Amino acid sequence: MSVNAGNDKEPSASLPPQPDPDFDTRGFWDATAQGELKMCHCSACGLWMMPPLEKCRKCAAPTRFDKVQGTGTIYTFIVQRQGAVSGFLNTLPYTVAIVELDEQEGLRLPGRLVNIAPENVRCGLRVKASFEDLPGGEFKVPVFQQSA
Amino acid sequence: MKTSLQDAAVVGIGRTSYMRASGRTTTALAAEACRAALADCGLTPADVDGFTCFGTGSGSASPSSVAHAIGVEDLGWSLSVSGGGNIVTSTVMGAITAVTSGQAEVVVVYRVLGSETRYGKNLGTINIDGEGQFSAPSGFLVPPQWFAMFAQRHQFEYGSTSEDLGAIAIQERLHASKNPHAVGKDPITLDDYMNSRWIAEPFRLFDCCYEVDGAVALVITSSARAQDLPHPPIHVLGAADSNRYGGSPVQYADMTTMFSAGTAPKLWERTGLRASDIDVACMYDCFTFTVMATFEDFGFCEKGEVGDYFRAGRATYGGDVVVNPHGGLLSEGYIHGMNHHYEAVLQLRNAAGARQVINARTALVTSGAGPFGGALVYGTAATL
Repeated sequence: MSVNAGNDKEPSASLPPQPDPDFDTRGFWDATAQGELKMCHCSACGLWMMPPLEKCRKCAAPTRFDKVQGTGTIYTFIVQRQGAVSGFLNTLPYTVAIVELDEQEGLRLPGRLVNIAPENVRCGLRVKASFEDLPGGEFKVPVFQQSA
Repeated sequence: MKTSLQDAAVVGIGRTSYMRASGRTTTALAAEACRAALADCGLTPADVDGFTCFGTGSGSASPSSVAHAIGVEDLGWSLSVSGGGNIVTSTVMGAITAVTSGQAEVVVVYRVLGSETRYGKNLGTINIDGEGQFSAPSGFLVPPQWFAMFAQRHQFEYGSTSEDLGAIAIQERLHASKNPHAVGKDPITLDDYMNSRWIAEPFRLFDCCYEVDGAVALVITSSARAQDLPHPPIHVLGAADSNRYGGSPVQYADMTTMFSAGTAPKLWERTGLRASDIDVACMYDCFTFTVMATFEDFGFCEKGEVGDYFRAGRATYGGDVVVNPHGGLLSEGYIHGMNHHYEAVLQLRNAAGARQVINARTALVTSGAGPFGGALVYGTAATL
């Protein structure tokens, strides 16, 4: 990961970090912009990969972005109570989970949890993805909420 | 000619003072630590023909610039390694290998951190590539958040508690109280710990290391040359690394463990040692939970027992092993784990003063957290 801007901007006016997609990752963001969750998927052996790769890390076949159900289980989570990331300084506390998607054991996607109080969040909770506009650009980001 | 680890040794150590905001450049800080390490072993810049350091982003000073800054006229072996705490072991072992392979005779290894390299927060608007683009837009970007995720899972699976993490912070702070070089010297109680503000729950303030400006340097040379130098040579008995999931803290499969689950078996096999053979354990401690997970992985105790182990006094003087006698990154200061190497060498020289571990002959030094890192064991000549 590289970070390509300074560290000293006015915090209150700051925007959340913006994705900087490349050839390997653009398909993910193109899908979220359409309100769909797609993950990198090997066209030959069927392995799902995160982060995305041009070729499968197991069999070297081409990959593509395929739609996933958007359902999964909270593997772990944090409740962020100290301002630490631009764009999230006035919305404390907020909860971020690492969600294990149903398509494959170990296939994980982080996302903010919505419509649930921090004290009600648990490892093992079932969740479903939806999408929110990311302030500052044209991106939509996946968020998760408790599923029925 | 066949060479081995025993043909090289750490002969000099140096450091700056550790400060919250020095106002000094990383070149100046690194130069001071490197000069101090050379003076410590009676060598001069004219003796040096190798330099190496590690660093992330813009916060370092290059080996060639630091060598130039202290008057080295023609630097031979120069290696700048990209990485953080995860790469300390590899960097030190690169210097050892440069000496044992004859590419250099005297190598300086250093790490410098300046005020521009704070990791705990990032308040500018930024564009992020790589894997971080899937985390940062959710407000998930900085290290305390990554490792709080690990701690939460450990609490879920093994029932470890805030009090267990607090026991680590309290013990390390108590050790630091005997270390004039430490930035955090005032002992803390469990109440202090529990009442410290939340950062990224389950981490509180006292779960997080103390970021400072400063530099640490080691001088490594051949064991033959070490015989003519003032301090007893300190040798590497073995080293190992483990790098998994491309360094991703999100995808790392079992977040109740860390890199050390892979590193420890390799290290114990290569050294013929095990946890019970270690006198001093300089455990990389960017956060309290890093100590918890790696301590379990290296086999000092079973999963979920670290809190009891620390509370019973087994991690301090008179116990099983002294963990971070200098106070670690949590209390001495965050020099990215290079200060753990300084402390290990000082202890094995029997030169640690008020915090000396009696009869210290072996020191485990771990580096890194989460998906990648390494560890080595230093020993006195008597352990070879």
